[in-house]
Amino acid sequence: MCARNSIYTTPKPCKHLADYKLRHGFNTYYSIRNCLKTTPNGRTRVAKHTTKIPRCSFCDRYQGRLYFCLMCSSLWCPTHILLHTQSEKGHEVAIDMDRSELYCCLCCDQVYDPDFDKVVVCNQVKDLPGGSKSKTNGFEACGERSSKRKRLDSGIGLDLKKSKLLVSMRDRRAKSCYPLGLRGLNNLGSTCFMNSVLQALLHAPPLRNYFLNDRHNSIQCRKRSGEKLCLLCDIDAISSAMFSGDRTPYTPAHFLYSWWQHSSNLASYEEQDAHEFFISVLDGIHETESKIRNSGKDDGDCQCIAHRAFSGLLRSDVTCISCGFTSTTYDPCVDISLNMDTSNLSSSNANKPIKPDEKTGASTLSGCLNFFTRAERLGSDQKLHCQNCQELRDSSKQLSIRRLPLVLCLHIKRVEHSLVRKISRKINQYMQFPFSLDMTPYLSSSIVRSKFGNRIFTFEYDNSNSSAAYEIFAVIAHSGMLESGHYVTYLRLKNQWYKCDDAWISEVDEGIVRASQCYMLFYVQKLLYNEAIEDSSFVHISPRRDPFDSTAGCS
Amino acid sequence: MTRKHSVNRPPTPDGAEDQGNEPILQEIINIKLIESGEKERLMEMLRERLIECGWKDEMKALCRAYVKKKGRNNVTVDDLVHLITPKGRASVPDSVKAELLQRIRSFLTSAAL
Repeated sequence: MCARNSIYTTPKPCKHLADYKLRHGFNTYYSIRNCLKTTPNGRTRVAKHTTKIPRCSFCDRYQGRLYFCLMCSSLWCPTHILLHTQSEKGHEVAIDMDRSELYCCLCCDQVYDPDFDKVVVCNQVKDLPGGSKSKTNGFEACGERSSKRKRLDSGIGLDLKKSKLLVSMRDRRAKSCYPLGLRGLNNLGSTCFMNSVLQALLHAPPLRNYFLNDRHNSIQCRKRSGEKLCLLCDIDAISSAMFSGDRTPYTPAHFLYSWWQHSSNLASYEEQDAHEFFISVLDGIHETESKIRNSGKDDGDCQCIAHRAFSGLLRSDVTCISCGFTSTTYDPCVDISLNMDTSNLSSSNANKPIKPDEKTGASTLSGCLNFFTRAERLGSDQKLHCQNCQELRDSSKQLSIRRLPLVLCLHIKRVEHSLVRKISRKINQYMQFPFSLDMTPYLSSSIVRSKFGNRIFTFEYDNSNSSAAYEIFAVIAHSGMLESGHYVTYLRLKNQWYKCDDAWISEVDEGIVRASQCYMLFYVQKLLYNEAIEDSSFVHISPRRDPFDSTAGCS
Repeated sequence: MTRKHSVNRPPTPDGAEDQGNEPILQEIINIKLIESGEKERLMEMLRERLIECGWKDEMKALCRAYVKKKGRNNVTVDDLVHLITPKGRASVPDSVKAELLQRIRSFLTSAAL
């Protein structure tokens, strides 16, 4: 009944629990349903004794853990519950009063039963304001697995009919045997921000395949739109140039001009922000394709190559502290901007317990992602209107990822604004990042699940694990100060790292990449990555569905 | 009420120890806390603080290390509780203790005990 999820594999019940269930089924579970009380933050306790204080039947203890026997409702502390089981046959299973979790008295250990958890969670959902009526808590049907499983399909894979067959081409003119597609870009006057992003974009598997498959045909495009500037045509030109085999640095002048037309506010020879440029290019691609197809679809369903590759969905839950009512909204995104987790590394150690063996001063990507998906208590100056309480209340907000994109772009915010001094400063703090990334803990299913405590429970839209595994393929690193710095891109092709510093391409050791000051990280879903590295000297011909089918998504 | 340093605090009581028949002050306070619902609020606040300062993560790490050493099937909840209780009690930051004490004090004055 429950899906297997590699992090939450359902533990087997001990034989005592199995026996117990054979004898009593769910009767006792249902009977305690009415005694369960949920607090606004999601904890469920057994609250049968509203007048008396719960005490151990043997020693009168009221502190610490107390267990509630499922058969006779007597209370016991951990030390004495064994006495009860020994004297009363059949009273082996109890429930932890504070946490609503099962305990087997004979094994002296916690046990797990999905059926029990289902009862508890359904109860929790019912108790939360708006739970039974509305869908805002995300449980449309308690415990029922959706038959629509998320399919992982690249969709932007390679098509038999239209693919350009690129036979293994090693440019013998070049001294080195760099893989195909690696080519320097000339700096046209502080355009390293542009070059670095272009390198990353053109080597993102979905985009690389899109252009290599001639998905945007310049000739047809010009016929359609006349002589108008088309950003996609320009990117296509760069892509062709990169993969032509010519190793001399290429000058993307035409693209720069086109982009200036599109983002006139950024048109200057000043140093720009790479992330801003990235967003602007994706926006430009989207607009261009919307014009071609005459469709005005919003970001969520858009089929333009930019959105197919980068678009994901973020979920935001705002919970009222007083009553627990949660309102959920979904917003599409093309990247995730992360604040650095420097709050953990503040110099004052007065309030911190002594950490035994942790390196202080190391910021990590998982730290930043944890920070991004933390339950943030909004200040009392940010009270929000709670629909249930019908007034302004303190709330807590939590973000999570509802749908992961094919290509995950993580932007590390390295700017610190000081309101006091009215200046912005760059954060040069080193941040450690992995080459293989598992995004499962940051998915909505994981985050929302954790609100319900320690449960074995399948969510309606549990994603299969395979689609949360990512491999890194590009890193944009920044060095220098806010106003004047330099961007370089590190690309990973066939497990070898290359540094793309404007016109200069060089092989580098992975240690250099790990030590760099990352600004933007590009990860691609593992399956696509494996496809891409199988052989990048010529395009794979594999029998696949029509790439114009919609890509994976829970719909 | 004499204040004791956590270092000099007597070991974690087992439960079936010296509990006289008359309710001692501690018990009365506890009963009042529970009845008024203040204990629950204090527990919530405590949980928040302990998460914020990283105490929970530390305990989790200790548990993980222990389970890794012993093997997942050879560890019970009781083992873990006995493992982390002394370390946990010792590493609660002073600021958290101070805040909790302050809250209890103000509760006591308001409950006119």
